[in-house]
Formats: sequence, C-alpha cells, structure tokens
Amino acid sequence: MAKAKKISYRKNFVLIMSFMGLITISLIIALYVGYSLTKKFIENEFSSLKIDVLDQTIEPYNTLFQNKIPELSFYQGFLDSLSASKYSDTVFKKYPFVSHILFYDSDVSNHPIRDGLKVNRFSIGLKTLYRFGRNTPADSIVLFRETDPQLLSLSLSDEFNKIGLKFASFLESADTTKALTSDQIFKIFFSIVPGKISYMNIPRREDIKIYQDLMFKNQPPSPLYDLDIFSFELNPYKLSLKNTHPELYQNVSVKPLSYDPILENQNLISTEITLPGAFSDYKLYLSSDKEFLYHEVNLRFLPIALAIFAIYLILAFITFLIYRNLSINKKLFSLQYDFINNFTHEFKTPVSVIKVAGSNILNSKNLTERELTHYGKILDEEADKLNDLMNKLLSFTQIENKAISVKSKEVNLEVFAHNMIDAFQLKYPDYEIELDLINVEFFHTDPTLLSSIFHNLMENAYKYAQQGSKNLKITVYTLKNKIIFSFKDTGIGIEASELKHIFKKFYRIQNRYNQQGSVGLGLAFCKELAIFMDGDITVKSKPGVGSEFDVILPYDN
Amino acid sequence: MTAFCKKSVFIIICALLFGCKPNVKVDKISADIFFREAEKSAFKISPDGKYLSYLKPYKGKLNIFVEDIERKKNIQVTICESSGVKYYLWAGNEELFYVQDKGNDGNYQAFTVSKDGKVTHQIKTSPKTKIEIIDGIRNDNRYLLIALNEQNPEFFDVYKLDIKTGQKTLEIKNPGNIVEWISDNNGSVRLAIGSDGVNETLYFRASEKDAFKPVISNNFKNMLQPLCFTGVGNHIYALSNLNRDKLALVDFDCETGKEAKVIYENPEADVLDVVCSKAKKKLVYLTYEVSKRELYFFDDKAKEMYAQIKSKLPQQEVKIIDKNQKEDIFLLRTFTDRDPGAYYLYHAKDKQFTKLSEINPGINPTEMCQMQAISYKSRDGLTIHGYLTLPLNQANKNLPCVILPHSGSSNRNVWGYNAEVQFLANQGYAVFQMNFRGSSGYGKAFQTAGYKQWGTKVQDDITDGVEWLIKEKIADPKRIGIYGFSFGGYSALNQIIYHPNLYQCAASYSGFINLFTYLKGFPAYYKPYQQMLNEIVGNPESDVEELKYASPIFQIDKIKMPTLIAQGAKDPRVNVNETNQFVKELRKHNQNVNYLLKEDEGHYFNDPKNRLEFYQKLEIFLNKYLHPER
Repeated sequence: MAKAKKISYRKNFVLIMSFMGLITISLIIALYVGYSLTKKFIENEFSSLKIDVLDQTIEPYNTLFQNKIPELSFYQGFLDSLSASKYSDTVFKKYPFVSHILFYDSDVSNHPIRDGLKVNRFSIGLKTLYRFGRNTPADSIVLFRETDPQLLSLSLSDEFNKIGLKFASFLESADTTKALTSDQIFKIFFSIVPGKISYMNIPRREDIKIYQDLMFKNQPPSPLYDLDIFSFELNPYKLSLKNTHPELYQNVSVKPLSYDPILENQNLISTEITLPGAFSDYKLYLSSDKEFLYHEVNLRFLPIALAIFAIYLILAFITFLIYRNLSINKKLFSLQYDFINNFTHEFKTPVSVIKVAGSNILNSKNLTERELTHYGKILDEEADKLNDLMNKLLSFTQIENKAISVKSKEVNLEVFAHNMIDAFQLKYPDYEIELDLINVEFFHTDPTLLSSIFHNLMENAYKYAQQGSKNLKITVYTLKNKIIFSFKDTGIGIEASELKHIFKKFYRIQNRYNQQGSVGLGLAFCKELAIFMDGDITVKSKPGVGSEFDVILPYDN
Repeated sequence: MTAFCKKSVFIIICALLFGCKPNVKVDKISADIFFREAEKSAFKISPDGKYLSYLKPYKGKLNIFVEDIERKKNIQVTICESSGVKYYLWAGNEELFYVQDKGNDGNYQAFTVSKDGKVTHQIKTSPKTKIEIIDGIRNDNRYLLIALNEQNPEFFDVYKLDIKTGQKTLEIKNPGNIVEWISDNNGSVRLAIGSDGVNETLYFRASEKDAFKPVISNNFKNMLQPLCFTGVGNHIYALSNLNRDKLALVDFDCETGKEAKVIYENPEADVLDVVCSKAKKKLVYLTYEVSKRELYFFDDKAKEMYAQIKSKLPQQEVKIIDKNQKEDIFLLRTFTDRDPGAYYLYHAKDKQFTKLSEINPGINPTEMCQMQAISYKSRDGLTIHGYLTLPLNQANKNLPCVILPHSGSSNRNVWGYNAEVQFLANQGYAVFQMNFRGSSGYGKAFQTAGYKQWGTKVQDDITDGVEWLIKEKIADPKRIGIYGFSFGGYSALNQIIYHPNLYQCAASYSGFINLFTYLKGFPAYYKPYQQMLNEIVGNPESDVEELKYASPIFQIDKIKMPTLIAQGAKDPRVNVNETNQFVKELRKHNQNVNYLLKEDEGHYFNDPKNRLEFYQKLEIFLNKYLHPER
C-alpha cells in the first residue's frame, strides 16, 4: 500500500511539471505566430486601405461631377454672365480644387457666324467667353466677345470645339423618339481630359429635333437658341487629402504619374494609386517610415500578447491549485493513516488486558473470591474504556457529517456543573475543582452536547497537570448576548507554537502526559461541537503556568 | 336661398335612400369605374339639323361617327387606327373637317371627309404645322377659313380651304405680329390681334379691300376679347377689363376705339361665356361663376326655353353645347356635382327630349359626394374661393384630407362633377380645392397678383387654405396629403419643400420640377409670348435666384417625406432626364419615392391604361400614409 502511494504522488508531480512545460512552449509559439500575423496584417492593410483614402479624397470631385456640373442643365441654357458668376462662386467655395471656370455663352442657329462651329447649316456661335476664378479682377473675366473676333486663341476654344463637335456628330444620327440614356449623356455632354471637365447643358428632346432640322433642312433664318458650355479647370494639388488611416500612412500626397519614389529615403515603405477621371495624370502617393510601421505592429500586437499571457497565467494558476489540493490530500491521508495507527494502539491495550485477564481466568483451576473480583473489575474497566473510545469515534463522525440533532431544554447550570464536578472528583479524588456562576442560573441548550464539552475540557485539565497542581476553576458568566464557560487550570500549559494546532484533528502534543489513551480528538471534537452550536472555543496559555479555555455560546435570554 | 332648398332636398333624398341606417359605410368603387372613358363624346349637330356626329373609340382610337337623326342610322366616317381624331367640326351639311394628332410631338394632320365617309381629302401642310379654325363655314358651303403656321412656325397666316378638294389658298399673310384672326358674320376676316409680346393691339378693317389699321393697344394684363360683330356699324361685342377689374361684356366701336356701352358687368366675377345667336343676330345669354355657374339672359324667349328644359331635367345643370343653323334643335349636356351627366337632343318646336348617351353610366349619383363652395381669407387679406368635398356618411370632423391644387396657374376649379375629386372622396378623404391667386374668373387684380409668385404668394394661399381647414377642425392635422397634376403637382412639391410639417405625403402627376425647363418648353410659335411668360413666371436670365427658389429640383435636400411622382418620358414641360435626376437624388437622401415612368406618354397620360395605373398607385400611396380607414 505504501508503495502504491509513493508511485502515485511522484506521477502527479511529473505530470504537472510536464504540463507546465507544454503550456510554456505554447506561450512562446503563440507569441511568435501572433507577432508575425500582426505584421503581415499591417502590411496588407498598408497596401489595401489606400482605396479608402482615395475614396474619401475624391468624394468632392465625384459630387462635383455627378451633381454640381449636371445642375447646369437645369438652367436650360438661360445662364448669363451674372448668374454664371454666381454659380461659379458656389463651386469655388465648395470645391477648392477647381481653379478656373470657362463659360462659353453660345447660341445655336442656322445663321452664318464668325466664331464658333458650323456643321452643314447648323452653327454654334460663341457670343462671349468668360473666365471665372478666385479673386479674378472684374475687367479680366471676359476673354472674348463676338464683336472682337481676333481675341479668341486656339487653346481657349479647344474645349468648346471638342464638345461642339461631339454634339454635332450626335445630332447627325440622334433618335429623338427615345429619351437620352445616362451613358449617352456621359459620352456626349461631358468632355473629360486631364485637368479639365467640360460640360454642355443637355437640350430637351424637342430642342434636339429643332437642331436636327437646322442642320439638315433649308429653313429661313431661325431664332437663336441659348446654349451654355462650361469648362472646369482643375488643380489636383488643391484636393483636400483625407488621411483616414493616420496610423498607417505618415505622408499622403498628390504626385505626378511619373514620380518615382526610388530616390527617396530607403527606410520608406510606400504605395500609390492613380486618381480617376480628370485627375488621371496624377496619383495618390502614400508612405511611412519602417520604424513607424513597426511601432504600429507593436501597438497592435500588445493586446494580443497580453491576452496570451493572461491565458497562460490562468492556466498556471489552475495548475498551482491542483498541485496544492494534491499535497493537502496527501497530508490528510497521512493524518488518517496515523490516526488508524494510534487507534489500533489504543484498542490494543484494553484488548490485551482483557486477553490476559481472560486467559488467567481460563487457565487457573480455582480462583479466589478476591481474584475473581479483581479480574471482573479489570474486565469491566477495560470494556468501559473500549466503549468510551468507540463512542468518541462515533459521535465525532456524526458531528462531522452533521448527523446529530440538537435536543434543547432548560438546563439549571448549577445542578449540571455540580453533577459533572462530583463525577470527576469521584474518579480523581485529587482533582480540585472550583465553580463560580456569575448572574446566570438557567441556560437553554442540549445538555448532552454541553456535557461532552465539559467532560473533555475537565479531563484535559486533569491530564495535563503535574501531580499536586491538578486544579481547575470553572467560571460561567454572560457578556452581551453570549454565555462564556471559562476553564482555567494550573497545568503544564501549551507552547505558543502549538496553540494554533491543538484544535486540529489527530493532533497531539508529544510529551509525557499523553503517553497513553490519547487520540488527539478531544479538543477537535469540542471545537466541532461549539461550532455546531453556533459558538466557538478560544484558548490562552502560558507554559508552566496554566491554560484557560473559553467556550463561547449564544445566549438569547 | 336656392342653395338652401337644394340642401334640404338633398337631405330628404338621403333620408329616403338610407332609411333607418343613415351611417351605412359607402362601398369603395374601383378606380377603373371613375376613370372610364365616355363611350361617345364630342357630339355635334349638322347645320341643317338632320345629322348628329360624335367621336367613339374604334380599335382604341377616337373616330368620327355620323347618325341620321330620323332614320337612327349610324355610320363610321373615319378609319383612323394609328392615332385618333383630335378635333372636328361640320364644314357645311355634307363635309366634316378633322385633325388627327400624329404622336405626341405636336404633329398634326388635317383632313376633310364627306359625311358618308366615302371621300377623304388630306390637307397638304408641311410637318409640324398647326391649324387653327378661324371661321367654321362660310355662306358658300364650300370654304373654311383657317390659320396655318406653315411658312414660319412663329406666325399664322390666313388661308381659304376648299373642303371639296382639300386645296388651300393664301388669303392674308401675317405681317409678323398677328397672333389671332377674327372673321365677321359673313366670314371675312376683319379683325386681328397683334402682339409684340407684352402689348396687344387690335386691328380692324372696314372691308376686305381696306388695309388693317390699329384700333387700340393694351398691356397683356388687360383684355379686350372680340366676340362678334353687333351688326350695327363697326361695333363689336367684346369682353373687356380695360379700366375695370372684372371682365365685362361691352359694346365696342372699332372705328373710334372706344367702348360704346357696358352691357353686363358682375361685381364679383368675370364674364365667362357669351352665347350669341347668329340666326337672330343678337345676344342670348352669358355665364359667370363665383362659387357656382350662373346664367344671365338677354333674350326672354331663350330664358323661357331654358326654364322649360330645367323643369324637365330637375336638379340638373344644363349646358347648350351645339345647335343647328335655324336654332330649333339643340344639343344639351347635363351635370351636377354628384352626377357626370348625359347628352340630350332637344327639339324646341315640340319640346321633345332624346337622351343620347351617358358620360359615365357606371357612376351612381347617390353614392357620390356633395361639393360645397367655401371661402377663406389669405394672410394678406384676399378672399380665396374654393370647394370642399366631404366623404359620404361620415362625421365632418378630423377627416383625412387630400389637398388638390388645380393645374395651370391661371386655370380655376369649378363647381361640378370631377372624377378625381369623387374618386378621392369615395376613398374616405375630404378633398379640398382652392382658386389661389393667379386663378382666372375673379378679375384682373386677382389674376395678376399671382404673377411671378408661383413659388411664394400662390403657395401661401394654398398653405393658408390648409391652415383654415385645420382651424375649422375638418382636417385631421396628422393626416393631410397633397396631390396635383401639372401646376398642381408643382404646387404639391413646393408645399412639402417649404411646409414640411403640414403634410404627410405628396403626389405629383407631371408636376413641373424646374421652371427654367418650363419656360424653355414653349414651342417656337409661342415666341411672342416669351416676354409675357417672363412677366408671369419670371425671367430665366435676370430672375435666376427667384426661379431657383421656386423650382423643386434646386431644393431636393429640403424634401423629407414620401412622394409619388408620375412622369411621361415625352413631356415637353417636364424633362424626363431631370425627373430621373430628381428621383435619384431623393433616393440618395433616403426619401421614399414611388416613381411611375411611362415611356410613351407626354404631359398628360393619353393611354387610359396608364392613367388607370397611376390612379391605382395613387390610391395605394395615399392609403399608406393617410389611413382613411382609421
């Protein structure tokens, strides 16, 4: 049995140690994998989230393109210099990247024209060309008037001609029975070249029919139909850059498409994306220092590392708890083993006495009256001892398992205590016991349990005292709603180091006073009983002077 | 007093009809019954009174039918399958003249046809020209006088049309400013109205040999509308509001350019129709309408006859829509607010009635709702007249309400049967119509008060009406919707832009969303009116800010409620690309838009199926947000 025990404990320890080793290795692997994944993740984000930055940066361009420019059509060509300038101001205010707006105020007719565009009889005549800009002086807004034809340069009329030609070729084959699709609108009425968006107000279907007639039919001079063409000059450097991920990108800037970052700082990580539409000559260039990104990796990895550590610590703590429980169980096991040894010993003495007495009676042929009485007394006493031992063990088990019930009744303390004292003095004639009841007479409790406590403490006081100083003073008094039974002896006392152990089960102080008949259960039993009765036992002691045990129980009278 | 009598009669009828169950719920009548096309329409009588003509659908398109009154024999005269007859008239006793509408883009083609349908002549005109009739038939039974904008789309010249051959000859060339030609009793053009855009000039000539000379000029806000020659000297009957607010019937001397005398003037309303008798060469009666159509007779015999007719058709309003040359056979049209009415033929000699056709036999007048005239004060003190139609058999309090602003800024609502109104009232809504400023019929000052105020004071009048309706506790302020067609739809959108708290939802059927487009939408032959439009609506070049304020497309971000928008893709007034943009933007702003787009429709949905689909959508839409059943 001892062999099996030893093997099992060693196994547990090895298991726990190997488990700890394993989780530590796991910790290291987890930290390593976590770090490299985080790094990879950041690298991916660095190259993919530029789309986000682009979307945000280009958003005002898209609203300009999709809403603000098509709004020009709503005016149906009625815009003149004043209203166009008002419109331009709203554009300049909201879209800082628009640097200038050219407004070609034109007429559609079948008249001969001096400046403009003529296809068959259809002509788009340029009346006036305005160039609006921020803080442009009023006298430099008008670039051209039809009354002064020399002023029109080829570069200025470039956009006008381009969109006019597109429109004229559309007119040639336009199907006026169908509404214009958005695709047609985009292809015909917008002209997008790097740095410029041009737009012509979309004529109504009826106007297109009239224009077709102007183009193909020989008609008398037609009225003049208003047509507005606008050209927006854009400056990509004025785009307000919206770095939506400052944790990834240190620098965001607009660079020409030809810009090559290789000449830059070697420690720089960079990515780029081409701008759309009229900005297609330019790209969005995003860069960060390596250090900056590593810092970001560390920042992101920190919580992951902390979480891994926390899990590791929890596992280690649980392992520790398992180890502790195992060692407590081991101690308990050895205590119980000692107990059985002790108990066997305790039982052995009376049993061998009974055996000797029994064999003496069996072997002697005639016993004298005196001898018989002597053997009878011995048998009786030893049987009592055995019985007492059994009872103690039984009631202790009962009380540990809470299997006994309290049978309370009114107890006259004086009568109760005197009965106990008388019983002891009868047993030990040299036992001096003094009783002092202060202001208490009756106590409502279970007399059996109370007498058990009395018996144990009185027995101990007698047992652990030198011959001639076997004195005990029992004082009973109340304090607030407690009743206190104080047992003060003049015995050998208890060492301070032993004091905290004396109420433990099977604990015995090793000295000459308990050579026989002690199992180390008495005080533990008393403590259990007191706790069972909602009270407690405390002890004060001085070696060589004596001990004082106070039993404190609730007193509700 | 008469109104009171009618009301009590109505109550008695109601009591008899519903007996001991006065609060019986009215069954809902489906939209297709309300908006069913009349089977026969545009009845006309031949000058000799022997034939009756009418339009009736053939393969889904309107065609002319002629009925021999005595023999009760009907013949189909035209076979138009691709597009229907737009309008027609009797050109003498043997021939009919009609105009066919080729598609939606203002392409018209005119024809003459014999009354048996055997001989048809196409009148050769270049495409996209428009024909206007100056004089129905001259005494020679052979020629029609027409005005045609063939040579220049902006100006109409006078032609003589031979109805037997379809040949036309130029009579008078437009000098460049004439917008209307008027003939005398002998069919010779002796009056013309010229316009330079803002000012109108009346021209007159004593005979066909003389040259036209200007008589009087006036601003377009004033009106001098020649009706016919009095037969005395060079005097004409005319409607005039020169030097007065309300349009009055006057005797006008074309020689001196002065008013000879005022014949009739009403202090509250403009004179609407004046009926002259060509046979008797005198005035018969005129009509005006403050809250309900009223008649004023000049001729006692006519008054007697009218009273006799009314006694035979009790409780009915009666209109004389046509008569023969001798003026003893009449075509009558009846109606009330609850009854779409019917056509009758009346022989004055033997006082005999023949019922010809009901406008809408599916409508039971007792299930329709009464239209009552109301009026309220605008915030600046004008009296606004309107009509309120309450649902049948319901408490007149806290009702769900549909505000129905009329189409055309200068049109007006009138008392009478209105299918839209009855359709909505049948659904359980109180229907509210008002003649906001700018509406015609209430005098010059009231009409011009609406000029350049489309988005402002005109809208205030509508808002004031809604607030009046809430104050009177008729409308439940939490269940008010607004719906309109054309200008009405425009008003509906404007209302929810500037008064979002008054309404729960708005429906716009071809409502203008951009006044710039509206102004551009007038064809070239309206060019003389361009300046006038600038004054009525606004100048697209100098009033940019005002027009932007008044145009819903510039105010999309202010719309914060569900809308129903119906649009024809060929609408010249409302550009479909703009409406698409409008709807897209609204949806981008997370507003609920029900969009009904019809590829082949113009401003007004011509196909009855499309119209019906719209009204069914409207029913569901209003029901969803106004909960009439609650």
